[in-house]
Amino acid sequence: MDRSEKLRQRARELLEKKEVVMVIGFGPPSDSGISPVLFATTPEEAENLTASTSCAQNLANYLLKVRDRGRVAVVARGCDARSITVLLQENQLKRENLHILGIGCEGVIENGRKSTACAVCRHPNPTIYDELIGEPVPAPEPDPEILKADQEFEQLSPDERWERLSAELDRCIRCYACRQVCPNCYCPVCFVDASMPQLLGRTHNLSDNMVYHIIRALHMAGRCVECGACHRACPVGIDLMRFNRRVAKTVRERFGCDAGTDLNQAPALTGFKPDDPQEFIQ
Amino acid sequence: MKPRIITRKQLSELLDRLAQEVCLYAPVRDRTGTSWAKISRADEVCLEAVNTVEPAKGFVFPRCEVLLRFDPQGNPVEPEPPPEQVVFGIRPCDARGIAFLVKFYTQEGRTDPYVKARRQKTTLIGVACSRTAPTCFCLGVGGSPQGSEGLDLLLVDLGDELLAEPVTDKGEKLVADLPAAGEKHLTAAAEQKKKVEAEISLRIDTGRLRELLPGLYESGVWQALALTCVNCGACTFLCPTCHCFDVTDETIRGRTVRCRVWDSCQFTLYSRHASGHNPRLDPASRYRNRIMDKFYYTVEQAGMVSCVGCGRCIISCPAGIDIRQTVRKVQDAK
Ligand code: SF4
Ligand code: SF4
Ligand code: SF4
Ligand code: SF4
Repeated sequence: MDRSEKLRQRARELLEKKEVVMVIGFGPPSDSGISPVLFATTPEEAENLTASTSCAQNLANYLLKVRDRGRVAVVARGCDARSITVLLQENQLKRENLHILGIGCEGVIENGRKSTACAVCRHPNPTIYDELIGEPVPAPEPDPEILKADQEFEQLSPDERWERLSAELDRCIRCYACRQVCPNCYCPVCFVDASMPQLLGRTHNLSDNMVYHIIRALHMAGRCVECGACHRACPVGIDLMRFNRRVAKTVRERFGCDAGTDLNQAPALTGFKPDDPQEFIQ
Repeated sequence: MKPRIITRKQLSELLDRLAQEVCLYAPVRDRTGTSWAKISRADEVCLEAVNTVEPAKGFVFPRCEVLLRFDPQGNPVEPEPPPEQVVFGIRPCDARGIAFLVKFYTQEGRTDPYVKARRQKTTLIGVACSRTAPTCFCLGVGGSPQGSEGLDLLLVDLGDELLAEPVTDKGEKLVADLPAAGEKHLTAAAEQKKKVEAEISLRIDTGRLRELLPGLYESGVWQALALTCVNCGACTFLCPTCHCFDVTDETIRGRTVRCRVWDSCQFTLYSRHASGHNPRLDPASRYRNRIMDKFYYTVEQAGMVSCVGCGRCIISCPAGIDIRQTVRKVQDAK
């Protein structure tokens, strides 16, 4: 029995036995090549569940939408599971309301290529689950081209990095798709939407684009699970993962924290340790 | 106006000349596909993709339109009038999008001077589609891969030569000196039209939608449909006909400007009243608004379905939502 079939079978059972009110997973890909999120509430609806490389979204995002509906099952790959962990740590979800159907992930294929986040994925297997569907998968060999480009970016001077950042973010059309698809961007009122008084200008000029992205990066430090959902969602193809990876790496190096991998370790910026390195505050 | 024939070489010369005289925009290749850019030579043009990532609407309805500037004393100064521009390589669906925007914004009694002025200063040269994407459905909403609505000139690629069909005087002026097209050219173009149209299988019955939608306002179908949508607004920003804006005062490079910027019905801020009350706070009501607007409100207001079938919302939706499926599900809803 292949993974998709196993997944369907378990989803059917869970719904039949009324152990959950809904199973959240993915359906077969649409014409755009992306699998829409599927909310199965009946065993029949669960027949369309698919586990494939066309599943682009981070499903943890949808748990926030249905958290008042009772116990739900969710299909979780490495990054979905890590986001769920972050949401649990931040008291956004109740563990007893979740049934996590863990599944090893082969990455998302986008326009015929492995999505940039998936090409350097470190956690293809779920870090938290109630049952594992199929076998765990090995972590992929990281794409050397991406690693090299990351390293080059890192070695630039601060001025050069700023310039790179500016050139990239100058193209942002501030549609906020990157924010909306991110499960860990869930503030009831985002600072960019604060309008009385208005905190951020609404034209697409570079300085406002920068403020948006820098504040988002800071809000995501230690919480971003590098799923790449924002990167894939960006309609103008901004290389958001280059920056996200940089932030995540800093957090790993400085705080020894890899977001969402350990339910018992608080996200870096919400905890305090007397031995935190703080050489930048002299 | 008579259809003419233009060779590839003549077309290159025409574009090179236009680039010297006015602002010439065309699709150029970029990292994500093709985007609109100002070009200075014909060979920068890339017509390989079926369509550009972003629509052409910005040429008449820019993402940020400066309405007023203020001098250091705070006195308002009228902004510069828009420059003369030529847009080359626009696809028929995008051109219909512009036709819609112009229709919507220049209605009797509520004409928008900015859109009007920009359209007057713009020449739109379309290139018919010789192939389609699986997301294309222009034919289902009253368009065609060879449609000329909204254009000044339509080119149909016939290999070494292109058929040039002027639609307006502006278009006619560009090709007036060229030889008239012969019977064989017209036949070749008609055959291509038949072939390309046959590639688009999906139809949606928009007439039925106009009748159905008002009765479905309270239907539970929206809740079900909107569950997948994350209200990101990518679909509205990339849609060639989405036309909502907000007006804001900002300081840009030390100067105060009043400008209007694109807004989206998918954003919570969009519908929030000054009182703080938000009648469309529920994500499903925002999703509903987008579909009602495309297939009902604008039909009532401007006499035209405001979906031109370009498929951009399908391509750009991070959640994999397909507007054609939405329409089908709405039609099946009770
Ligand atoms: S999705 Fe892309 S264009 Fe939209 S706000 Fe994010 S970075 Fe900017
Ligand atoms: S692009 Fe998709 S997810 Fe985003 S608002 Fe549009 S329909 Fe919803
Ligand atoms: S609704 Fe979608 S398919 Fe229709 S015109 Fe807008 S972007 Fe194109
Ligand atoms: S929708 Fe029609 S006109 Fe638009 S790009 Fe596709 S085939 Fe061409």
